[in-house]
Amino acid sequence: MHPLSKNPFNLTKANDYSDAQINDYWVDMPYGTGFLGMLKPSSPMPTLILGGKGSGKTHLMRYCSYEIQKLRHAGRLPLAIKSDGYIGIYTRCEGLNANRFSGKGQSIDAWRCVFEYYMELFLSDLLLAHVKDLLGSSPEFKRRESAFCRSVLKLFDEDDSEGPTKLDSLINSLRSLRRDIDEKVNNCAITRRLQVKVRATRSRLIFGIPKAIQMFSDLHGVQVLYLIDELENFSEDQQKYLFTLVRERSGPSSMKIGARLYGIKTYSTFSGDEEIKEGSEYEKLLLDEHLRSNPRGYNAFARRLIVSKLAESGPRDDDKALAIKADDIDQMLEGRKDSRFYEAETQQFVMKYEGREPPHFQKLRSKLSSAAKASRPPGAQNAGEISKIIDMLRVPGFPLLEKVNLMLLYKAWSEGANLAKSAHSIAGMCAEFQQPRGLQSIYGVTYGHFAQDLLAQLFRESDLPQRYCGIDSFIHMSMGLPRLLLIILKHVYNWAIFNNEQPFSGPAISAESQRKGVWEAALWFFDDAKSKGEEGAFLQDCLKRLAELFREVRFADKPVECSLCSFSANTSKISAKAKENVELAEKYSLLIRVQRGQRDRNSMRVDAKYQINSLLAPLWDLPIYRRGALPIDTELMGAIFDPDMVQTFDKLVASRIAGMNAPFHQKASKEKSAQQDLFYVVDTHD
Amino acid sequence: MIDYTIFYKTPLDPKSDWPKDHEWDLFISAFNSSKRVHDVFNQARSKEKHWLIFPEYKYKTCEYPPQRHFATNADSEADFILQFLSQINGQINNRRICIDLTGFIRPYQMVLTKILAEKGVKQFDALYSEPTVYAQREKTHFSSGSKCAVRQVAGFEGSHSTDTSNDLLIIGAGYDIELISQVAHHKEGAKKVQLLGLPSLRADMYQENVLQADGAQESLGPANTFFSPANDPFVTASVLSKIAAEYEKRVPITNLYLSPLASKAQVLGFWLFYHFEGNERPTSILFPFKPEYSRETSKGIARIWKYTIETGSRSSNNYSRSVPSRGVARKP
Repeated sequence: MHPLSKNPFNLTKANDYSDAQINDYWVDMPYGTGFLGMLKPSSPMPTLILGGKGSGKTHLMRYCSYEIQKLRHAGRLPLAIKSDGYIGIYTRCEGLNANRFSGKGQSIDAWRCVFEYYMELFLSDLLLAHVKDLLGSSPEFKRRESAFCRSVLKLFDEDDSEGPTKLDSLINSLRSLRRDIDEKVNNCAITRRLQVKVRATRSRLIFGIPKAIQMFSDLHGVQVLYLIDELENFSEDQQKYLFTLVRERSGPSSMKIGARLYGIKTYSTFSGDEEIKEGSEYEKLLLDEHLRSNPRGYNAFARRLIVSKLAESGPRDDDKALAIKADDIDQMLEGRKDSRFYEAETQQFVMKYEGREPPHFQKLRSKLSSAAKASRPPGAQNAGEISKIIDMLRVPGFPLLEKVNLMLLYKAWSEGANLAKSAHSIAGMCAEFQQPRGLQSIYGVTYGHFAQDLLAQLFRESDLPQRYCGIDSFIHMSMGLPRLLLIILKHVYNWAIFNNEQPFSGPAISAESQRKGVWEAALWFFDDAKSKGEEGAFLQDCLKRLAELFREVRFADKPVECSLCSFSANTSKISAKAKENVELAEKYSLLIRVQRGQRDRNSMRVDAKYQINSLLAPLWDLPIYRRGALPIDTELMGAIFDPDMVQTFDKLVASRIAGMNAPFHQKASKEKSAQQDLFYVVDTHD
Repeated sequence: MIDYTIFYKTPLDPKSDWPKDHEWDLFISAFNSSKRVHDVFNQARSKEKHWLIFPEYKYKTCEYPPQRHFATNADSEADFILQFLSQINGQINNRRICIDLTGFIRPYQMVLTKILAEKGVKQFDALYSEPTVYAQREKTHFSSGSKCAVRQVAGFEGSHSTDTSNDLLIIGAGYDIELISQVAHHKEGAKKVQLLGLPSLRADMYQENVLQADGAQESLGPANTFFSPANDPFVTASVLSKIAAEYEKRVPITNLYLSPLASKAQVLGFWLFYHFEGNERPTSILFPFKPEYSRETSKGIARIWKYTIETGSRSSNNYSRSVPSRGVARKP
């Protein structure tokens, strides 16, 4: 077998799992009530499960289905179903091929009636098949089968007393009715005629059969739980019908409806076009948001998920074993090297520039030389003075400290200070910082905030690859979407095999394999936006512009924010098109909304705050952890997100960035105040 | 499992006159800007010749050809074809019909062949001209536009099972990576099989095809790959029949979805398989509909193929189709 086909992360979608795999790969959240506690399958309250693609909706819903209940409780049915309190009837809206119920020269009303009737038959068929499977061999069922069939037949508008008395025959009759509709709907495209006799009123079968099954002692008190997945495949009118069912729900039945964030087209019902009410008529479970809001729990869950994927087929590990192995994963991937002032991480850089001037000093020398001819910055007016400044800022063997020195010097330059004096003072602070307890100084604060960004600058200036590695980084980059984590690991595994490594069984996977794997995963995620058509392609452009802005700031001489991958904006003031695209990017998980927003530093107004999905970070050398948030004004928001205003983007960004790069000709007052905040306030964010 | 390779497949020389018996009563072709479509239209001998102008090519009225043509803004592919056929004089089921598939947009092609069969046409010829090269090789764009709606092709919406546990989606994977991804996304729950054109129309086109199909790998998931010649509808139909039989043998297929996205010859093969075996299990043909298609995607004519299709017999509304049982050898 080819090693790539052994990749334990090849299967990334719950849809590709068999029932046994759904059961085997089930991993619960280690803290709190777990996933079932969130979903509450035995509760009569309907739930709308919303989440980004790959957030785990399908896995969770299928885990509650009868097929998995059977596997979970093998040998203990039907008692265990009674103990669960529900029987799960899982279906995907996709399986109904619902878009055929439209057009073909027929009215919307005609299709609505046919679709509702079809759904009645479809769900009833599924439910009755499960009842037959569960109770078929019980003596009580055989005794009461005929009476049960009669009670189901009574639910139809025309009582058919001569109808089937055996459940198999009843199911076959329902299937035959459905096939008849299929044929008529199919032929309608050619014949332009649709003549379907609707034999059951809306919701009569769907809520009537769960009442009828209560006659069997094994199902008495058991709720029928309709698990309807992929609601995004229904049209607005079809969703309206489903929400009408949620409103009209009665008896021992409930519904859990799964949909992608962008999949809800309406909350309206056919009850006077009223919307269903959250809290009283249904609950909403925002799955990935829930996972993101609990990073510790999500990290532990994600590690368990990886262990379950790595485990060979065989008996399931118990929880304790899972926890132990979960901690071992750190050793399986080469992580960042802990060393004083990132000495180990920057060793490659030091070696590369041994005996040569490193690029950051070359750049400073060049900028100061140009400026000496024009604006003549105090203290750096000729080559000799410039060389002295550079010599003062050198810290042999610790290029990261040199970068901190340069950042502080650029700050002094932007403020018009004497650069020779500033360099002298910075060199003193740097020496002091290298002593114990140096972290409390301004130098220490700058280092604490900007070390990662300056490290990224070092790598970029010297054409060394950025480092995105280590299991914690990958878990964080998946942003509460477990499928993204599996996709990252799938590509990392493939690259490790390609590089002749033994992933997860030999020495730690190299940083190189991880970097290439995560890059490929990021590229896939970004390209996947294209599958949403032209709007997806425009969103890609929006994200490119936003990421380019972040990159310009991150790699500026004097960045105004640290660890920049988020922004805040007053979305009530931006154009409708820009707002629509920001919301769409959020629905496709390209942007992640930060729940608490960001308080504007001047007006104290709370603005909306969004983070670019961390999985996209490698494409633009951005940080994955959010710290600073860039306030973006209405004009620039338009230039990023509004198709009618994008032509102003380059000009606006150039003007915004000018104040962050030497020689600081167009220093914007906003940048200045933001910069000062950063240097004197330890944590202004969130 | 049916062996469709008993149907006739004949090469025609693009550079010299065709044999005298190659003459028809009704010749139907899809109008676009491709030279291979126009050359064949001019070369074909027929009492009536019709251009179909599909709205997705976005031709303005002033760009329409001088010959007899049909254009309308129908609400579906079936509506378009029905309207077209309704304006043809006289019965069509006793006429010698030839369709040049080359410029057709796939759903229209399938609906036309379906309706011809439904109207009692027992046999028709289909032509397909192979290009020398695609205009921008593997980067060639065949479709464009904002929305992409994946749905069943009108008239190819089978009666499906509530059980979706072993659904199978067979994609005839062409160059258009977006279309492959869209279909795969639409039937996420189905097992996927991709059918690649091998032998391809030209030697380098296989590599181009693989390069493109690989881009859709994440959407496809763990898909098995099969091969059938890009220019042979009959082998394509036979391969589909074999794939379905093999999968059925392992675990019964709950629902079968077909999505022909590759060459028009392969589309004809998918149609044949649906036509003769679609009733055996819940089967539909899915297609990612785009609002616009490129008018010209290729250069030159390498070869022209004539496929002779026998639609089988039918009685009233209840189809009982059968492939011709004659043991004729295929012409080279």
